[in-house]
Amino acid sequence: MTRSDDVLGNRGLTHFDFCIIGSGAGGGSVAHVLTAAGKNVLVLEAGGNPFPGLDDPRSLPPPLHSNDELKYAVRRYLYPDPLLEPRTFRADPARPAQLNEDVNVLPKAVGGAFQLADAKIPRFNAVDFRLRSAMEATLAATPGLAVPGFGADTASANFADWPFGYEDLEPFYVEAEELFGAQGLDGDNVFESRRSRPYPMPPGVGMYVSRLLADAAREVTLPGAGALRPHTYPAAVNSRFRDGRPPCIDCGHCCGYGCTTHAKGSPAVTTLRRALLSGRCQLRYNAAVVRLVHDGGHVREVEYVDGAGVRGRATADAFVLAASAIESARLCLLSGALGNSSGQAGQNLMFHLRTIVNGFVPQRLHGQRGRAVTHGLSDFRGVLPGGAAIRVLQHERRPMVAMGGICEFGASEGKPIADDAMVLTRELPEGFGVRSGLALKNALRDQTLGQHLLAVVMHAEDAPQRTNAVDLDPRYRDIHGSPVARITYRSHPYELSARRFYRPYLEEIVRAAGVPPEKVFVAPLMPPPRTHHVLGTLRMGSDPATSVVDPRGRFWDVDNLYAADGSVFPTSSGYNPTLTIIAVALRIGHGIVGTPVSVRDGAA
Amino acid sequence: MKALSVLAALAMIPLTPVRRRRRGYLTVHEMATLAALCDCVIPPDHDPGASELGAPRYIDRLLSAFDRSDRPPRIFAGGPFSHRHDGVRNAFKDFVPLTRLEELRWRAELFGSAAVAGADVNDAALGPLRGLRDIYREGLAKVDEAAGGSFVRLSSTERERVFAELGPKTFTPDPRRGGLTFVDHLVQHTVEACLALPEYGGNRARIGWRIVGLEGDSAPRGYSIFSRARNDYVERVRHPVSTPSPDELAADGMTLVPRPLSPEGERVQSSIVRLVRLVAS
Repeated sequence: MTRSDDVLGNRGLTHFDFCIIGSGAGGGSVAHVLTAAGKNVLVLEAGGNPFPGLDDPRSLPPPLHSNDELKYAVRRYLYPDPLLEPRTFRADPARPAQLNEDVNVLPKAVGGAFQLADAKIPRFNAVDFRLRSAMEATLAATPGLAVPGFGADTASANFADWPFGYEDLEPFYVEAEELFGAQGLDGDNVFESRRSRPYPMPPGVGMYVSRLLADAAREVTLPGAGALRPHTYPAAVNSRFRDGRPPCIDCGHCCGYGCTTHAKGSPAVTTLRRALLSGRCQLRYNAAVVRLVHDGGHVREVEYVDGAGVRGRATADAFVLAASAIESARLCLLSGALGNSSGQAGQNLMFHLRTIVNGFVPQRLHGQRGRAVTHGLSDFRGVLPGGAAIRVLQHERRPMVAMGGICEFGASEGKPIADDAMVLTRELPEGFGVRSGLALKNALRDQTLGQHLLAVVMHAEDAPQRTNAVDLDPRYRDIHGSPVARITYRSHPYELSARRFYRPYLEEIVRAAGVPPEKVFVAPLMPPPRTHHVLGTLRMGSDPATSVVDPRGRFWDVDNLYAADGSVFPTSSGYNPTLTIIAVALRIGHGIVGTPVSVRDGAA
Repeated sequence: MKALSVLAALAMIPLTPVRRRRRGYLTVHEMATLAALCDCVIPPDHDPGASELGAPRYIDRLLSAFDRSDRPPRIFAGGPFSHRHDGVRNAFKDFVPLTRLEELRWRAELFGSAAVAGADVNDAALGPLRGLRDIYREGLAKVDEAAGGSFVRLSSTERERVFAELGPKTFTPDPRRGGLTFVDHLVQHTVEACLALPEYGGNRARIGWRIVGLEGDSAPRGYSIFSRARNDYVERVRHPVSTPSPDELAADGMTLVPRPLSPEGERVQSSIVRLVRLVAS
């Protein structure tokens, strides 16, 4: 069943102005902007294609996605396989890394990882783009304030301002929300920074569990900041007929699943499809780039392995890395430390530190209906309303700054195998679970976890640290014979202190939702933080000595190589990052070809 | 007359034990042993047990996924819709063709990494990955051994006793497979069979979903129906998205009347809380 003829788009193209490595949130956005500006683009995607006929100009054909728990949650459709493409992890840089099946592994396919996400797309706050200088100013103005990673402790982390501000990025946020089709409620989140355009669509139906937790949060007060102000969660999900795609049906198979109806605004059906229909894009899938061939300061071609296992080469005038933070950095390292004159390529790897507070409720939550999470809370990000300044609280008679992150209100999507049976029979140790017999059958009948476990999940900002890094593992290789990514990662007191500070309030929300105190618990920290929010490694900045790419996304030391994915983020903020990945990639794309931001009405 | 000749033909068959043939990977005897084991994992009560739900067939289909070359292996069911919720046809039946890497990975899973060129990339450091086909064939034979000859000939009480004693003495945990044993695979595949889409061979007539009170796949109907006339959503009365389950609401439409959990369900919840607090302390 192998085919080397895995191509979408214009097969006749032979000369390419640009070659983009990766077809997800970053790569798809750049492909769209470059092709719209008349450039010929080759996209190389390592994964397969769940969207047969994506380049059909007549209509958007149905995808291979489905409401199928086994396919996604158990058999891991579209995920890299830990046997063929492993990764290793260590917390201690002095020790050898061990194979780790899920060290922040992202799905790999035409359209990228975002297609299996539940498509939540909040913006970052204005202050996030100048966090370092804002924090230094706050420290200077607040006697007695100490923040890990700043002031006397600056050397323990590697914070930096972004080379552009929120106002510079705002038009690209608008372009991203229009392209992907954002649903949201204007003014609902008081911490959101200034928007120049309203959300393209109103929110869809709120889920019972999200509403239950939002109502509970309103009863909780953060001392010095008042009652909490939960809000509807912005998402790239149609709530109206728009852009040739239907409104979401709330089928309940959202987080971890691909969308069956194209209601989800994933890169494949938005930016990538536009690029393919331009006639100026050729996309080769099952094409895993293994090396960039270069002479130090200039990339000549890339070497890749195609869907039949045959090695091929592709040439272009310029190249764009958009393979996600870990893989983009790994490709530089596999190409002889390409682009690493700063010594920071692969460093400053950031995840989000998740604090997950759970509770069991007596009633059924039916998380299998809806879009996984419809409400959340931004009060714990640590900013003032408007998101332009850092919030200083008084805590135990001292000033306190705690930069946490957005909180999601959710439950299981009613996955009876992965979220219930596998936990009972396999993940819980002997003596705690139920392995077989009528006891197992009765517990499954209850859907003890799947229907009764709710969760508040805070995604706290991770401090950038040079010691948190991707490099090449000396022992293990992937199917193509290349050394695998080795992740070295340890949490910083910056995020651990934010976790400690907000945790009691998270527990209070869960109790206020009707969970008896003896049924509230906090998921223990088990490194590495398993999250799909993977950022840093090819930091963008204004100084070639301390950053890998320049403010336009071009490598300081390679004249025809760009990075346009989460790898360029100098800091991680505390919000789901995909909208910002898209906006930054659009900005980089427009910067390359000198076109203005384009906001058109996407209504069908 | 005809019946008699059939009987005569049967009489010609030698009575020495032969491996009885059937389609699929496992033999008739192995399938019978497997069915008895699956019922130890999820036994019948007022609802069917795992064997009646098709768990042995599900497992055999997995083990023989690559036995037919004329169609894609039945690893990933197709999309986007079944015919169950307004879909025009059942696309789940058109299994997805595998990519080269997916095929390597699933062949290694079934046949072992040493038997699949390319999948042995880290075997020198880790040792080979054993294939599920061997794990099942050997596992089922060992179960017979532990049963003193034949597991299926035991009474159901004796089966439960033998099953409960299938510990690490009988099956060594496999470090290459996260320390799992044959029994772990059996339990995992049995619950998968009972609760996955019926297109994979188990969950007969969707009774598995009915037992756990879930609707399974729901697209393209879904739960929030968009009304073009109202330019807004309408929820389904019996399957609401935004409000509690109607069968857990009192007549006033406000007060929650949750259905009580089983003692096992209650025990699982308290063990999880206890475990997490142990780990945290």
